[in-house]
Amino acid sequence: MTEETVTDKCMEHDQFKMIDTLRNILSRSQGMVLDEDLTEKLDSLCQSLKSSIKKSDSAEGGFSQDTETGWNLRNLQKHKGRERRKNDDIMDVIEAGLCLLDKDLQIVWANKTLGDWLALKESPLGRSCKDIFHCDETGIDSCQALKVFRGEEGRVLETWITTKAKKRLCVQRIAIPVTNRKGIIENVLVHLEDVTESDKSLHWLFLLQKLGEKMQGTLHLDRLLRLVLTCVTTGHAFGFNRAMLFLVNKEEKVIRGKLAVGPSSMEEAIRIWGEISKKYSSLEEILDSLEYDNDFDETFTHMTRQMEYMLSDTNEVIVTCARENKPILVVNAADDPHITEEFRSTLGVNEFVCVPLIVRNESIGVIVADNIYTRVPITPDLVNVLTMFATQAALAIENAETCKRLEDKVTQLTTTQQRLIRAEKFAAIGSMASYIAHEIRNPLVTIGGFTRSLTRFHFEDAKIKTNLNIILDEVIRLENILKNISNFSKPSIPKKAASQICDIAENTCSLMENYFKERKIHFSKEFAPDIPPVLAISSQITQVLFNTLMNAVESMPDGGDLTIRITLIEDSIKIDVVDTGTGMSEEELQNIFDPFYTTKSEGSGVGLAICRKIIEEHGGKVCVNSKCGRGTTISLFLPIH
Amino acid sequence: MPTILVVEDNKNQQLLYEEELQREGYTIVTAFDGKDAIEKVKEKPPDLIILDINMPRMDGIETIGKILSQHKQIPIIINTAYGSYKSSFMTWAADAYIVKSSDLSELKDKIKELLTNRPKDF
Repeated sequence: MTEETVTDKCMEHDQFKMIDTLRNILSRSQGMVLDEDLTEKLDSLCQSLKSSIKKSDSAEGGFSQDTETGWNLRNLQKHKGRERRKNDDIMDVIEAGLCLLDKDLQIVWANKTLGDWLALKESPLGRSCKDIFHCDETGIDSCQALKVFRGEEGRVLETWITTKAKKRLCVQRIAIPVTNRKGIIENVLVHLEDVTESDKSLHWLFLLQKLGEKMQGTLHLDRLLRLVLTCVTTGHAFGFNRAMLFLVNKEEKVIRGKLAVGPSSMEEAIRIWGEISKKYSSLEEILDSLEYDNDFDETFTHMTRQMEYMLSDTNEVIVTCARENKPILVVNAADDPHITEEFRSTLGVNEFVCVPLIVRNESIGVIVADNIYTRVPITPDLVNVLTMFATQAALAIENAETCKRLEDKVTQLTTTQQRLIRAEKFAAIGSMASYIAHEIRNPLVTIGGFTRSLTRFHFEDAKIKTNLNIILDEVIRLENILKNISNFSKPSIPKKAASQICDIAENTCSLMENYFKERKIHFSKEFAPDIPPVLAISSQITQVLFNTLMNAVESMPDGGDLTIRITLIEDSIKIDVVDTGTGMSEEELQNIFDPFYTTKSEGSGVGLAICRKIIEEHGGKVCVNSKCGRGTTISLFLPIH
Repeated sequence: MPTILVVEDNKNQQLLYEEELQREGYTIVTAFDGKDAIEKVKEKPPDLIILDINMPRMDGIETIGKILSQHKQIPIIINTAYGSYKSSFMTWAADAYIVKSSDLSELKDKIKELLTNRPKDF
C-alpha cells in the first residue's frame, strides 16, 4: 500500500467521521431552534469538510504520470467517485435542505431534500438563489447570504413552503460561511431546517401565554367572558367562526348559555371579518378594543341564552362534557347518537367542539365552538390547545366570580352597616326622647293641671287670669311638642296584610310538633282546600294559635288527641282546636276569657284573654264548647274582608 | 258616691288628681305604689282604679295582675306618661289606657263612661 493510499484512507475516514458528526447534529437539531453554538459547530464542520476535500484535490494533482501512478490515479478517481456518490447519497437523505452559494449568490451545489422541499423541477445548479427561494431579501442589505459574505451573522428566518408532496412546512434558514484555507469566505452553505412542529408549539405557547396574561388582568366578569370568546373566534388566535359559553349553576343544577360571539349569518360574517381585518392588525388591538364592537353578536347571544340543560340530562353533549371534564369533538352530529336532534338543529352545524372549563377538577362551564361558515375541519391539535386555553379561562372566570361575590358582599355589608348605624341612632334618639318626654310630661301635668284648676277661681285683678291663661297656653304648647316626640319614638305597630291562615297554622304546628310528641299528644291537621287569604297581622294570629294549642295540650296531662281543623263557613274562616282533655265546668267556661283567671298552678291566665282581644281586633269572634271530662273545642272565626 | 283609687307615686300629681276628681264628686283614696294599692284594695275595694305604670316597688302591670286575680270586676284605667305600653299585651287587661295630660277631661270622661257601664263586661 502506497503512502498516498494511506493518506487517502485517513482522509476518507476523517470525512466520514465529520459527515457522521454533521448528521448527528442535524438529527439532534430536528424540531429545535438552532442556536449560535450549533450554527458555529456546523460552520466549523463544514469548513474542515471542505478543507479535507481540498487536500484530497491537491493530493490528486501532485501525482506523476507514470503507469503505476496512472493506475493509481484511475483507482483513486474511481474511489473518489464512489466517495462523492456516497457523500451525495448521505446529503440527499439528510432531513435538511442544503445548498452551497458562491459570491454571486448562484447555487453551486444542492442536495435532493432541498429540491423536494422547494418543489424544484430542474436542477438548481447554476441558478440564482433568488429564483429558488423567492425571498424578498435577496440583493438587499438584509439578505442573510450576503451578510455572511460580509462576515456578519446569518440571520435565522422562518418561512412557510409547500413541498412536492403538497405538505406545508415551516422552515428555518441558516447561512453558514465556508472559508478556504486562507480563511476567506468563498461560499455560503444555506441550511434549511423543518421547524413546522416546534414552530407550531412555540406559536401556541406564546399565544396561550399572551391570552392568559390578558385574561388574568380582567376581573370584570362580563368583560372577561367576552374576552374569552373573542380569543376563541379571532383569526389571530383560534380562529373559530363562532363560540358559545355556558356556565354551570350549582344551586339550580343547570348549565346555561351565557354569552356567544360570532356572526349570525354568512353575510354578516363576511362583512364583520372584512371590517375586523381592515381595522385591526394584531391580536392585542382586537382584545383591547373589545368593548366597542359588541354590536354584531346580539342575535347569537340571545339564542345562546335560551339554551339551558339540567345537569342530570346526560343525553346532552354539553352536560356530558361538563360532567366528564373532557373535551368532545363532534365531527358528524347528524349521525352521532350522543347528540340530541334539538341541540344539533339549534347549533345548525355538524362539526363542532365542546371543551370544559375546569377549576379544581370540576367543570364550571363549557365552551362550544364551530366553523359554521368556512367549514374548516377542526383538528385534534386545535382541540388540545383550546382545552389548555379553556383551563386558563376557567381560572380567570373563577377569579372574576370570586371577586364579584366579594364586591357584592362588601356592598351588602356597607349597606347593612349604614342601616344599623341609622337604626341605632334612631333607637338612641328614641329612647332619649321617650325618657325626656316622660320626665317632662309628669311635672307639666301637675303645672298645667293646677293652673287649670286656678282659672276656675275668681280674681280681683284681671291680670292674674290673663297670666294664668298664658301659663296654660305654654303648657299645652309643650305638651304638644312632647306628643310629637313620643310619636316619633313609638315602635311601629304592624299592619294587617293578606295572609294565608293555613300557612300560619302549618308553621305554628310544625314548631310545636316535638312538644306534642313529648306530651304524648296525637296531633292531626285537617285543612280544607281553597281557603282564601284574609287581612291579618300574622304574628298576632300565630300568637293566638300558639296560646290555643298550648291550652289544649295543658288540658291533656296524660296525653290525648289534638286536632286543628280549618274550614270555610259562609264569609268567615273557622279554625277549630279540638282536644280530648279534661274539659271545663260551667263556671270555668264563664271565666276563661277573663285576664288573670287560671285553674292551673302555673301560667299567668292571660292566654285566652289575649286570643279574644286579637281575634276581636281582626273583626272575628271566639267560641268555646266544652264538657267536663270530654274535652274542649275552641272555635276562632276570622271574617274574609 | 263612687270611690276611686288613684295609684300615683308623684305627690304633686296625686294632689292634683285628688282635688280635681273630688270636684267631680268622687271619693278619692290614694296609693303611692303597687304594693300600697293592693293593700288599699284589700281594705275596701274601690269602684275604679287609676294606675300609673312606672312606680317604685311594684309596677303597674304587676299590680293589675294582682288586683284582677282577686277583684276582676273593678275597672282599671292606666294613666301614664308613656305611650309605648299601649302595644304590650299585659296592658290589654286594663279597661282604658290614657296618656297623661294636664287637661284631665279625657280621664274624667273615661271614668264616667266606665262607672256608668258597670258591672264590667269583659
